[in-house]
Amino acid sequence: MMPIGSLARMVAANTFRSKREVATTGGGESKLGGVFAAIVALVILAGVIVWGWELGPLWLSLLVAGVVASIVLLARGGRYKRLGRFALSSFGIVIGIATFVLFLASTEQVGTVLEKIFPVEEVEVVAPQVSLLGKDISKRLDDSLVQTIKGRSEAKRVLPRMSLQFPAYGDGTFNGAHLSLEIGGAADGIDPSYVVEDSTLTPGEHTMFADVFRDWEAAENNTKPRQQCVPPGPKDDNPCTDHQRYYCDKIDNTCHHRVPVVLSPTMLELYNTQFAKSHKTPIIDQDFAKFIIQQGGMERMRFTLALGMSVFGSTGDTGKHREVEATVVGISAKAKKIGMTVPLQYISRWNTEFVNVDAGKTYSSIVVTLAQREQLAVFSQWLQDTLDLRLEDSLGEKFATVVFVIRLVLVIISLVIIGISAVNIAHNFFMQVSERRRELGLLRAVGASQTDVQLVVMGEAGLIGLIGGLLGILFGWLMSRGVDALSNRYVPKFPFKPTTWFHFQWWILLGGLGCAVFFAVLGGYLPARKASKMEPAQALTQN
Amino acid sequence: MPSVPPSGNAPVIRLRDVTKSYGAGTAKTQVLRGVSFDVEKGELIALVGQSGSGKSTLLNIIGGLDQPDAGEVEVLGTDILKANDAARARMRNAGIGFIFQAFNLLDHLSVLANVTLPSAFMKDTKEVDARGHEALRRVGLSDFATRRPGELSGGQKQRVAIARALFNSPKLLLCDEPTGSLDSKTGEEIIKFFQELNAKDKVTMVIVTHERRVSSIAQRVIAMKDGMLVETTDEALQETAGPS
Repeated sequence: MMPIGSLARMVAANTFRSKREVATTGGGESKLGGVFAAIVALVILAGVIVWGWELGPLWLSLLVAGVVASIVLLARGGRYKRLGRFALSSFGIVIGIATFVLFLASTEQVGTVLEKIFPVEEVEVVAPQVSLLGKDISKRLDDSLVQTIKGRSEAKRVLPRMSLQFPAYGDGTFNGAHLSLEIGGAADGIDPSYVVEDSTLTPGEHTMFADVFRDWEAAENNTKPRQQCVPPGPKDDNPCTDHQRYYCDKIDNTCHHRVPVVLSPTMLELYNTQFAKSHKTPIIDQDFAKFIIQQGGMERMRFTLALGMSVFGSTGDTGKHREVEATVVGISAKAKKIGMTVPLQYISRWNTEFVNVDAGKTYSSIVVTLAQREQLAVFSQWLQDTLDLRLEDSLGEKFATVVFVIRLVLVIISLVIIGISAVNIAHNFFMQVSERRRELGLLRAVGASQTDVQLVVMGEAGLIGLIGGLLGILFGWLMSRGVDALSNRYVPKFPFKPTTWFHFQWWILLGGLGCAVFFAVLGGYLPARKASKMEPAQALTQN
Repeated sequence: MPSVPPSGNAPVIRLRDVTKSYGAGTAKTQVLRGVSFDVEKGELIALVGQSGSGKSTLLNIIGGLDQPDAGEVEVLGTDILKANDAARARMRNAGIGFIFQAFNLLDHLSVLANVTLPSAFMKDTKEVDARGHEALRRVGLSDFATRRPGELSGGQKQRVAIARALFNSPKLLLCDEPTGSLDSKTGEEIIKFFQELNAKDKVTMVIVTHERRVSSIAQRVIAMKDGMLVETTDEALQETAGPS
């Protein structure tokens, strides 16, 4: 078998030649390559100058039109018939691979975003609220149940959530705009560590959470005595020394740390798209910690939490009510989608105070992080059989399935395109082999074996695939830039809207390239076999 | 049927009762009918005969480019019928140089790349270019290494083809109508070159030709008619070969 270096050189020389015949005339190679590259470069340059980089799709479409026109011209010109045919073959591969990587990268990104919204490995255990006989309160999610679930090997982490079980509302002023919002039933508490570990947080925000998002009441009750204060009037300054964090409580006349509140990205988007526009308040489009600092610190993010009262005028069962101050300290995907989230201990104490002791010990749900996604079915079955509990319908799982099916369909479409290109390559190579009989016969005469000839032809097909694959990846990436530019310019903001719709993982690029080469070689296989079986003596006498 | 008596050394080519036919059934054509002869080392043989007499087929069988139906064919110590495709390819690559009437140069390659083409199928690829330049020097085309075949005259192209055939310093040169596409003056030059090559380097040569002037330089003329060897008398030559 011929050495790999010789094979590579021969394949490259055969693929990039400008003429197909073993000719007798000619005036050297044309400057085709240079002219072609110059046209492409000029189209790109003109596009960038006229429309700018951001308007990628416009100049990109011009670029594509230029490339297609050049290929058609090449194919029409008899002189470069062979190169033209190869260009057309590889064009199919380019389009196929471009769609392949584009589809995979987009579904990958959509999957990533969906996983942020609905973590698939996280499930929420809830108690059935209704039975055939009516309301069912026989199942309580409490600490003992948390411990039982913690004992399961499938559960990597078990964190309870507790909803606020009585009326409450938030009331505050932000940038001169007054806002009252009912939060009874829309607020809950979670373990602070769950939020602090939020992978979506930027380092700045993370520091802020680690420092601020915790149960300040428990932390400070056992330490130094609280600062005494006189509750200020509406226009008075905050009497507490650390006015950024503390407020003067109207009941015990001491300074208390404001209740730390985190909001979900959904709330942030709602604020940006609805509230900020209608109330002409600033858009939050940067690191939330920086935004807070820019707005004048946490004191400017404070609001009054009226516990036991409703904006609709009603009060809770006990008739109790009091006010505390809270402050927004950050954004977290773990926060309640619509509403607000505070450290679990606050909700527990408030439920005990405003409802009863049981309410302070009963969780609304238990978030279980599974060690492995595949264990979901086992865990779900155990939950139902042993504890008579169920999992909250996992939207994440449903979306993941939908994304998987969509990805499968899109990948099949791209594979069909690439497959058609492979058939096209096979057709072209069959013609090439017939036309190059004499050349292939000569190779046999100077020492090529059947295997060598087969390798040369398949190598040429592989090179077409490799070039087509590289161009396809480049084309796909350019398309993604165009789509992102259009999306950033024209698509309005919405919750979790990503800055890019594509995530080009290394395996997608490598897979695309491998796929291009594989299908091209597959297309070249039968023509290569035909070439290798050709009788050299007869091939050499071909006119 | 004439044949060359074997000498003391093993012949470069040994043919015994070689037969070859093309087609099948009623369309079957018998091209070779029991051809036997030996070619000794350093001989220059002219294979003459009318078109269709089977001389090119015989040359292809000797070169391992075609397989006989029956008989014995031993070339450079290789049994052509028993050797597999890879072994025959190695034999062609290392021991045989082919020269064709139509030159068979690859236009997309430079003159030097055409000359060094056999190196693509060799394991030892040392000093390939230097050897290519040396082969070009021998045929008087040292200054044409970077040209393309399309820029050369017919005579120059045949010289490039000869340089390619000489690249691996073959023991056997098989030439199929090497002067058939050349004018008489260029043809004379090529014939003279063959004579020198045979005399100085002792390269064994088998030349298929129609031309008297080519067969006239041969040490031995083997004439063919209807797939068989015939007496190589002057009369026979007149009958089978073309004009001088």
